[in-house]
Amino acid sequence: MKVSYFETGRYVPPPDMPREWPVPSGAYDPDVGAAAFRGMVERVKFVEELGFDWVSVSEHHYSPRILTPSPIVSATWLAARTDKIKIAMLGPIVPVNNPIRIAEEMAMLDSLAPDRIVVGLLRGTTNEYLSYDLNPAEARERTDEGMELILKAWSEPQPFGWQGRHFQYRTVSIWPRPQGAHPPTYALGTSAEAGEFAARHHIGLGVSYGTFELMAKATQYYRERCAHYGWEPQPDDIIYRANMILGETDDAAEDALRRRDKQAPFPVRAGLRDALIGADISRNVAGERRPANVGGVLPISFCGGPDRIVDQLRQCREQIGAGFVDLSLQDPGTGDTDSMMRSLELFGRKVLPRIREF
Amino acid sequence: MAFQEAFVEADGFRIRYMVAGTGTPLVHLHGAGGLRLTRAHELLSGHHRVYVFEMPGFGASAENTRSRSVIDLATTMAAALAQLGIESCDVMGTSFGARVVLWMAIRHPALVRAIVLEGPGAIRPDGHQPPSGTPQEIARLIFAHPERAPASPPLAPNIREQQSALVRRLRGPDRDPDLEARLRDLATPVLVVFGTLDRVMPPQMGRCYKMLLPNCHLVFTYDAGHEVSTDRPEAFADVVDDFLERHEAFVINRRGTLIDP
Repeated sequence: MKVSYFETGRYVPPPDMPREWPVPSGAYDPDVGAAAFRGMVERVKFVEELGFDWVSVSEHHYSPRILTPSPIVSATWLAARTDKIKIAMLGPIVPVNNPIRIAEEMAMLDSLAPDRIVVGLLRGTTNEYLSYDLNPAEARERTDEGMELILKAWSEPQPFGWQGRHFQYRTVSIWPRPQGAHPPTYALGTSAEAGEFAARHHIGLGVSYGTFELMAKATQYYRERCAHYGWEPQPDDIIYRANMILGETDDAAEDALRRRDKQAPFPVRAGLRDALIGADISRNVAGERRPANVGGVLPISFCGGPDRIVDQLRQCREQIGAGFVDLSLQDPGTGDTDSMMRSLELFGRKVLPRIREF
Repeated sequence: MAFQEAFVEADGFRIRYMVAGTGTPLVHLHGAGGLRLTRAHELLSGHHRVYVFEMPGFGASAENTRSRSVIDLATTMAAALAQLGIESCDVMGTSFGARVVLWMAIRHPALVRAIVLEGPGAIRPDGHQPPSGTPQEIARLIFAHPERAPASPPLAPNIREQQSALVRRLRGPDRDPDLEARLRDLATPVLVVFGTLDRVMPPQMGRCYKMLLPNCHLVFTYDAGHEVSTDRPEAFADVVDDFLERHEAFVINRRGTLIDP
């Protein structure tokens, strides 16, 4: 099994910081931000030393919880300051971005840092649509079309036009092109649409935060669709992003779980949250309808001392089929990086060597 | 839609108003220049019954020596709405009218469903002076695009002087601690609209409303001056209509980007 560390910027918010999303940008402290970004590089160098396979970065807006609105900027910075760890952009939010721009920037970084980047193409959480004024009802369609356009821009050798539903270009011909066919690429999501798209295009699938049982439904659907298209995904084709609490002992981890804040940091206010959930009605896991999660607290999927964690990872490997786990060892937005660094070190010493075998 | 002139007797005043449209009532209280119908009123009357009031002492109404404060004006205007049988409405205030609207909402929370403030002057920078000069000079101050303002006969000098005197008497301090303390508890949804080219009230005053009001949205209208509804009436009516329909959920875009099915 391979492991990825989810780097979120780790801005340490003062206690009097407004707690509601969107957080007023006037509350941003440049010194705290600079420290967060310095720490970002230090942490990634640290996990690189520990032997992590990837660091992942994401796209989130308008809050200190995750301080990386641009995954490409994060990835470029980190790729230039590290030597071997791969940088997984999980991902750019496809429906709110220009797909040609995504294709160009990913191809450019793939050329600047050969064999170092991984691309995840993401639909994104509903509140993120407010950032760039996307109609939530169109997010699914724009994601599917945008992903297809990105793959086409990477692969079509002749200038082409795109007569889409939501995107229209008369001329596309990107320079540079990716190194190979394209960097390792994943559709991110649990929906039937994401599974179908990934299977049809022979790319990987990334699922996140749900229970093993639920995520197994999504990956099973993906495998079935891959079989339909005549291929079989390998463990490296499946990523599971999750939260982990790792302690020296099971009791220490359980204690930390009990102390964990039960409220998500920087939630969307209730009225807006309900309106967003009402507007975003196409969420599903392998075709089964699920309500959107708008700023809710994210579950802990792994909790325990090293032995128990190894068992849980083995179970994840078997049940979900994930060859990659993409881990947060501390809730983003909480700011307590010291305990996270201790957990990362513990993971590197006591867990990582033991999960390579499965 | 043609606006009809009408009058209502309230609080000892005979108050003129213009009314048009069908739908939920939307009441507009004007700025220091008095009642002036705009294309935005017309557009808003597509979804609302729009009442554009002339507050006592403005326009051709009798000189108003009784109102001692904007709170008094708010009380008078609430009485006018009661007289018209309006129990609940959206209220829009432009510039000077903003403070009247806010006091109306503070004193009559059940009456005011949502508030729109256009270039509001309820919180002003220190030493702020209302616009003065010839009608042409004032037009250049309050509009980014005076050429778009509908031609209207200039106000008679005596009316202009009467209005200015009334505004100077009632506008109150630039910062009113009592008002601002109450705004912190005002649950009514508020939309604050500033033009990016507002030369009368600095658009950065918008952040004061955001910081004070618990349920406030701030929108800058590009390439518009102090009277956004005249400079960019379609843009103004569009965001106001959407806000009045959906309140805080108006931040969720409903427009489609479908090019071809």
